[in-house]
Amino acid sequence: MIVVPCPNCGPRNSSDLRNAGEVVPRPDPQTASLHEWRSYLYLRENPAGWVTETWYCRSGCRRYFTIERNTATNEIRDPGNS
Amino acid sequence: MYDLEFLSPVSSGPLSTPDGGLSLEDASASTKVLVRAARNTAAGAHLKVTYGRSRHRRDGTLICGSRPGEWTLLADPGRGAELVASLPDEGFVSVVDITHGRAMFRLSGADSIGVLAKVCNIDLADDMTPDGAVFSGSVAKVTCDLVRDDRDAGRSYLISCERSFGGYLFAAMADACAEFGINVPAGLSVH
Repeated sequence: MIVVPCPNCGPRNSSDLRNAGEVVPRPDPQTASLHEWRSYLYLRENPAGWVTETWYCRSGCRRYFTIERNTATNEIRDPGNS
Repeated sequence: MYDLEFLSPVSSGPLSTPDGGLSLEDASASTKVLVRAARNTAAGAHLKVTYGRSRHRRDGTLICGSRPGEWTLLADPGRGAELVASLPDEGFVSVVDITHGRAMFRLSGADSIGVLAKVCNIDLADDMTPDGAVFSGSVAKVTCDLVRDDRDAGRSYLISCERSFGGYLFAAMADACAEFGINVPAGLSVH
């Protein structure tokens, strides 16, 4: 079980949330090329280590929030304290 | 629209143990009004309840801080239009009567914590969810909004979910109650 700290609801079982994936900067829609859009929509780094992720608290506050998670150990830390 | 007859998704009447120590009843007909508003709006200030807490208004309405910037108002049946009209609508505010879209049950009695602990992954201890607490979580694998609304000094929970899950959830709750002495009608069996 992974316990994910929701900023509104407190620590919750990850089954109460949805991993919305790595945080990827959104390109400017006025200037982005097709390659940049493809990278933004589909391509992820997926490292074995620390990654900044967006999670959705689907069973609780229904808000999105950002955490840092180590994909090798599932250790979680606040992005502000990294 | 408020003259529509309410059709409950639950076909069973109230269930209780012979000694009355545990009861499960359908409260789906209760008026439910959803309010979404920024805290700096008149509606947000009017409701005066923070996320995770609830309070009873003098007119009997239970105001629940169900999510950040979101409140659910629960009241006796037939009060939807009155509640909607009672809220200030200045600013970016959304008020929707969701009475017909949600099922709701009341689980009461000393054993209610034992029943809920079987099917819900929330910490139900008094220090985490005291009387008046509002929280959301999985109940029998259905995402539900819960309010601890003690009555007559006894523990009591209001459990609400999407209407389409109501029949199943009531049956699942009744099944969880069986261990504590409630006689579950054959038509409610989940097995």
